[in-house]
Amino acid sequence: MNQDARHAQFMERIERGEKIEATDWMPDEYRKLLLKLIHMHGVSEIMGAFPEKEWVPKAPTLKRKLAIMAKVQDEMGHGQLLLRVAEDLAAPLGKGREELLDDLLAGRVKFHNVFHMESPTWADAGVIGWLVDGAAIINQAALLDTSYAPYARVLKRICAEESFHMQHGENIILTLARGTKGQRQMLQEAVDRWWESLLFFFGPVEVTPAAQRMIDYRIRIKTNEELRQQFLNKYVPRIRSLGLTIPDPHLRYDEKQKKWLYTQPDWEKFGEIVRYNRGPKSEERIGLRRFAHEEQRWVREAMVRAHKMQAV
Amino acid sequence: MADRREYEVFEVFVRKKKTDAHVHVGSLNAPSPDIALTTARENFLRRENAVNLWVVPRGEIHETPCDEGDWFARELDRKYREVSGYSENGRLWKTYRERALYLEEIVQDLHPPSQGNRPRPRRERT
Ligand SMILES: [Fe+2]
Ligand SMILES: [Fe+2]
Repeated sequence: MNQDARHAQFMERIERGEKIEATDWMPDEYRKLLLKLIHMHGVSEIMGAFPEKEWVPKAPTLKRKLAIMAKVQDEMGHGQLLLRVAEDLAAPLGKGREELLDDLLAGRVKFHNVFHMESPTWADAGVIGWLVDGAAIINQAALLDTSYAPYARVLKRICAEESFHMQHGENIILTLARGTKGQRQMLQEAVDRWWESLLFFFGPVEVTPAAQRMIDYRIRIKTNEELRQQFLNKYVPRIRSLGLTIPDPHLRYDEKQKKWLYTQPDWEKFGEIVRYNRGPKSEERIGLRRFAHEEQRWVREAMVRAHKMQAV
Repeated sequence: MADRREYEVFEVFVRKKKTDAHVHVGSLNAPSPDIALTTARENFLRRENAVNLWVVPRGEIHETPCDEGDWFARELDRKYREVSGYSENGRLWKTYRERALYLEEIVQDLHPPSQGNRPRPRRERT
């Protein structure tokens, strides 16, 4: 069968709503779009553990410490599951986990803008759990019906754990909201700090050619803007119900257009942060990741060698 | 393969209760079966309970072709193998003023919930 016929047959499968497996034939473009998406998703989970990990030693009570530690562990687990899916896609391109992580250290793969930012107070830890996880959950839940079966399976497990992250984040901010004046102030400042990053998180309003191809292949179904609107739908009323303000005087729901109007985030600033790892915390966190990856390489290699010697 | 620096892929199967079969939950990377078992517990059982875990090197698994639905094709109506193929029994029993008997009813009678005869999943961990 020639390539065109194969491609046409593949598209028929996609249009019938069939799910694709790692060992199925797939167009190179499909493989590469998926790999880029899942690679970025995987390393974002790992880098996403860092802003909260910083709060493990400083959590205000033992219960909070255990809970945030569990969450950090979940995010690392998500990274493991996703990289596993990425590896199977990358194998025909001659890449394995080492290379996928090297890409992160060398700046060849991006991770989400929110994880480049500072989390200076306990309220930031709460707002990350509440709103950053909230945004990520909307993204991930929208992908549950993706055409790539191994990704869909892993997302199911991830979303089940995210439901704990939602409650965890809400519990921290609800406690602060009912706390002292100083605690409410701290919460407001954290919301102010995160708002613009959260809008950027969903990506550009316009549907880029690559995003359109992903929609054609049913890798994803919703556009960035649809997801951002969903986020605003769910979270603006809740933020306001706590008596908090959102740092955007132009934010309002337009009844006629049936959508939220908002001030655009600084696309250029955040674009540079993710493209060149130029956020306030990018270098420090990548440095920690590099330390773990490189300083422990000898351990990984020793374990492989030990097993091989045992097998002889 | 002689100079493999990378970990191997293991498929992971979890048995949640002694009366359940192992169920495939995903895969992971590990340098050896021992570490694969530990990693499987960390990756897949942070919350759920289980009584047993299997890890199997991926190369040891034999599978049916993924994109050939034909392999599972059923050319015949297989209703005769299924409960739903005998729905007329209920109607037939009516003439004798009785009703069809179903397995669920027998199980329920033998294990009434009030007597605590039901499997207690939490106890099974030991
Ligand atoms: Fe996650
Ligand atoms: Fe999360």
